[in-house]
Amino acid sequence: MPLDTSTYSLALLRLDGRRWNELRRLHAQISTQAAADGSSYLEMGNTKVLCTVSGPHEGKAGGAGGGPRSTQAKIEVEISFAGFSGVERKKRQAKDKRTSEMSHTLTQSLAALLLTHLYPHSTITIHLSILSQDGSLLAACINAATLALIDAGIPMTDYLCACTTAAPPTSAETEAGGDPLLDLNGQEEQELPFLTVATVGKGHAVSVLIMESRVRMEKVEGMLAVGVEGCKRVREILDKVVKEHGKRFA
Amino acid sequence: MPREAEISVNEREFIQQALRENTRLDGRAFDTFRPLELTFGDEYGVADVKLGKTRVIARISVEVTAPLPERKFDGVFQIVTEFSPMASPAFEVGRPTDAEVILARILEKAIRRSNALDTESLCIIAGLKVFHLRADVHIIDHDGGLIDASCIAVMAALQHFRRPDVIVEGEKATVLSVREREPIPLSILHTPLCVTFSYYEEGEIFLVDANLAEEQVRQGEIIITMNRHGEVCQIAKYGGATVDALSLLNCNNVALEKVKDMSKFIQERLEADAKRRDAGGLMAELSAENDR
Repeated sequence: MPLDTSTYSLALLRLDGRRWNELRRLHAQISTQAAADGSSYLEMGNTKVLCTVSGPHEGKAGGAGGGPRSTQAKIEVEISFAGFSGVERKKRQAKDKRTSEMSHTLTQSLAALLLTHLYPHSTITIHLSILSQDGSLLAACINAATLALIDAGIPMTDYLCACTTAAPPTSAETEAGGDPLLDLNGQEEQELPFLTVATVGKGHAVSVLIMESRVRMEKVEGMLAVGVEGCKRVREILDKVVKEHGKRFA
Repeated sequence: MPREAEISVNEREFIQQALRENTRLDGRAFDTFRPLELTFGDEYGVADVKLGKTRVIARISVEVTAPLPERKFDGVFQIVTEFSPMASPAFEVGRPTDAEVILARILEKAIRRSNALDTESLCIIAGLKVFHLRADVHIIDHDGGLIDASCIAVMAALQHFRRPDVIVEGEKATVLSVREREPIPLSILHTPLCVTFSYYEEGEIFLVDANLAEEQVRQGEIIITMNRHGEVCQIAKYGGATVDALSLLNCNNVALEKVKDMSKFIQERLEADAKRRDAGGLMAELSAENDR
């Protein structure tokens, strides 16, 4: 980042010098862990996530205790934060509500994405390790999980891609404010109301939509539109990563 | 672990078939709530909400504590939810299910994070003493729509609650009892209310306020929290089948309409309760005459 950022606001650039609809550097690798059935490493700017998938294998409950879902594979998501991932080195509680909400979101969205009926009486375990946090954490987790599941070879309908968008800061002269911002970093996330959106495939099929802050109803439309566009771009990048990896076997 | 009785294949098929023919089991239109009832207890801050067969009671209580060190000027506001086995055999004490965690998170985001309650007004002496407000949500009966009902109950109870007045002299604060000084209503900045949409048929059919059977058949849910000024406080769609982006925006408009209706209803009930409590002004209250 250059030291002089004083002209950024004049040029309508953001704190880190991006334009409103620009993604951060999205770097991803797959098959990073040899021991896991599937694995991926994903960076969205300074947010870094490592994901491993094991399964489908016989779950702890086995076939008998599978209950109503025993005709489908059960998906388990575990999320762990590295002690050094945040700004403060804080010991996190094993099960705080925010983390269980995140894993619930991943479980629910992946259950609809994966062809779970092909694996009755089995469990797919997804483990996400957050190495560094700088905004768009849920989005990074979703993208990493998608890549790791592809690496594991578990059949799915399409890519599940996610990104975040924020409502534009309202300035005094323009009532409506500027354009919504795409792919937030940690600083922007603190300041602006934002939403996380995940889509399946190339269209407008929204799988996950989570917003946690108060915003005018009219602004949601713009944010959602930019978010869906962003997801398409993320999809292209992830697709490239997968195809690049596939070339090695050609 | 006890589990909710799974809905039978026939019932599932029947509900879906009926929905395709534009009918709900209880004959409601797709975008109507079940009959909503709201009553207040004899004490301040107790609200009893009935939404069809679902019943939720919220109770507000207050005590004086030291503030959190990083928030010296703010009172403490806590929402506690517990699913009791009384409401449904699937609930167990001490082992929160996913549904319970989600309910707690949604209420937290909808009410606490959106600053519905002005916590600064709960400060007595900065850094030393603040009011600790606690909202207990009790699920008495479960027939779907728990989130919507709980949100109405908490918001109604907050608006109904009166906190005791305090006198501050230097470092010393005296809490005055209800007899000494008329208790003060809380300062509520806005009233967020939740509307849960359940969708079916790949996002073709949207239902407002599904009951338990409809909830078990649905492909997914979208929980939208709004206030009557048209501000969205929270949106949550945790996966499930995909939905077109445009229908999501349409849900926002429906939600606004519902929230406006519900806010008006809560306001009416609060006014009716205030009228009931008002014994005819100060003169009537101070009068020594009685019915003897």
